[in-house]
Amino acid sequence: MEAVKAENVNIYYDGYIAVENLTFKLEEGETLLLLGPNGAGKTTLLRTLAGFHKEYTGKLFVFGKSPQEVKDFISYVPQSHTLNERVPLTALEVVAMGGIYKKSFIHFKIPNEILKSAEEVLEFVGLRHIMNKPFKELSGGQKQRVLLARALISNPKLLLLDEPLSALDPSARVEVANILSKIKKEKGITMIITTHDVNPLTEIGDKIMLLNKQLVAFGTPEEVLRDEIISRVYGPLSKAIKIGSKLYCIIGDVHIHRGERR
Amino acid sequence: MIPEYLLRAFLASIMISVLLGMLSPLINMKGLAFLTHATFHSLLFGAVLGMILGLLIGNLGIIIWVALVVTIFVVVTIAEIENRGFTSDTAIGIISSFVAGATVLGFGLLYKVMASRPYFALSESIVSYLTGEVFLITISDLEMLIFGGFLLFLAMLFLYRDFLYVSFDPEGVESYGGNVRAYLMVLYIIVGAIGALIVKTVGLITLQVVAVLPGAIAMMLSDDLRKIVGISLFLTLCIEILSIFLAYATNIPPSGIATILLGIIYGTLVFKK
Ligand SMILES: Nc1ncnc2c1ncn2[C@@H]1O[C@H](COP(=O)(O)OP(=O)(O)OP(=O)(O)O)[C@@H](O)[C@H]1O
Ligand SMILES: [Mg+2]
Repeated sequence: MEAVKAENVNIYYDGYIAVENLTFKLEEGETLLLLGPNGAGKTTLLRTLAGFHKEYTGKLFVFGKSPQEVKDFISYVPQSHTLNERVPLTALEVVAMGGIYKKSFIHFKIPNEILKSAEEVLEFVGLRHIMNKPFKELSGGQKQRVLLARALISNPKLLLLDEPLSALDPSARVEVANILSKIKKEKGITMIITTHDVNPLTEIGDKIMLLNKQLVAFGTPEEVLRDEIISRVYGPLSKAIKIGSKLYCIIGDVHIHRGERR
Repeated sequence: MIPEYLLRAFLASIMISVLLGMLSPLINMKGLAFLTHATFHSLLFGAVLGMILGLLIGNLGIIIWVALVVTIFVVVTIAEIENRGFTSDTAIGIISSFVAGATVLGFGLLYKVMASRPYFALSESIVSYLTGEVFLITISDLEMLIFGGFLLFLAMLFLYRDFLYVSFDPEGVESYGGNVRAYLMVLYIIVGAIGALIVKTVGLITLQVVAVLPGAIAMMLSDDLRKIVGISLFLTLCIEILSIFLAYATNIPPSGIATILLGIIYGTLVFKK
């Protein structure tokens, strides 16, 4: 079954078009890496798939239904800088948050069964030992893993991850990428992951999408990660390199892009 | 023998401390200081309006209810504007300007009405809403404060975790099936209702400080939620009680003393860091 199917989708903000004429399909169990420069519409697409953003035209189906109808099967992990860390929550409390809202409005106490599943998913991401630590005090990689655990607690069928690797140092990127690969292998959840750094993820990416307001390319890593394609989005200095069986991407001028926007 | 008015002031202070002590960390975590400000200003408008109506119909007991209705109307409107996608600051900015203008106009009208009715209870001077009159609190004021306060306390207690989650990550709550709009609406109404309930006792000028600083201080001292709420509650209680006794001894309005004490503690902590 198709996990996601988009046909001629346009996404708008107050009439201004942010993503244009998008058509693609993603099969259940596949992992899609979503690449594109700043402002390309990656977050916009994720938020639309998650059912948050409703201003779109065209056909958009998640497991055959509209995003709003299948909200329960979707977990969205926002970019971590959108979290307000002034609120003192422990890792366990953050994870539990993913499991309590479908049942009731008032949560004076977190139900025991939720606490139990929270511990289990923390175990899955290898962080059970720090469950009572304040979220604020965790390393960047650990925070991201806690957020992954929170997304997993509701047993989603589609995981939408917005830049799970950004703001992490290279070793933390590998740490998080390993968990993503574990989710793919052991849980088989369909994932869409936006990233500026595709290299730690090429192994798990079944499909790659290059987006720059419009679809630039969509296909397997071998099909998309070619010099002539990535240079259309990231400029002439970008290169795709194959070492052994692995593809790497050197994106030369992503910083120049950022500089221009300021 | 403790004079009865002192006892009443004492009981009122305990209730007020429980409410503000619990609310204050939330205001700081969610960044609601500006909203609190706007809310408390709409209380003044509500009080002025209530007093005008009260004088006209000869029943000053309606003041607090008018203030409550006006304030809840204001916070609900702010929440609605936010829901339309405007930032909190924009929503508050728009509404505050109306409220501020209406308050000034209201004062003009109030003086006219007052001039036409020379005799009314001293305890209902509009100034008491500005500076607070904890020593003039009546038995029925106290009953209402304790009953209403208890309900608001329960509402806050049971929804505290949800308010924390909504402050931490509203999109997360939304994506996991929670109703962020509803939580924020309830939180705003609680802020407005607490304000309406205690404004006459604490006074509008100082309410802003007493509602914000204890939480800010507690958050400087600890990273643990229980401790933060504990410190905030304890601090508010100490300050309120202490200022009542200092006020009793020196005849300076207690709300002024409370504010200055809080300012000193906060300032000391900030400079030490
Ligand atoms: N809430 C919003 N209101 C109006 N326009 C928006 C909003 N959010 C994003 N946009 C616009 O939509 C376009 C796509 O933004 P989006 O955040 O989806 O890009 P992105 O690919 O996620 O970028 P980044 O790599 O910087 O995260 C941009 O032009 C942006 O300015
Ligand atoms: Mg983005």
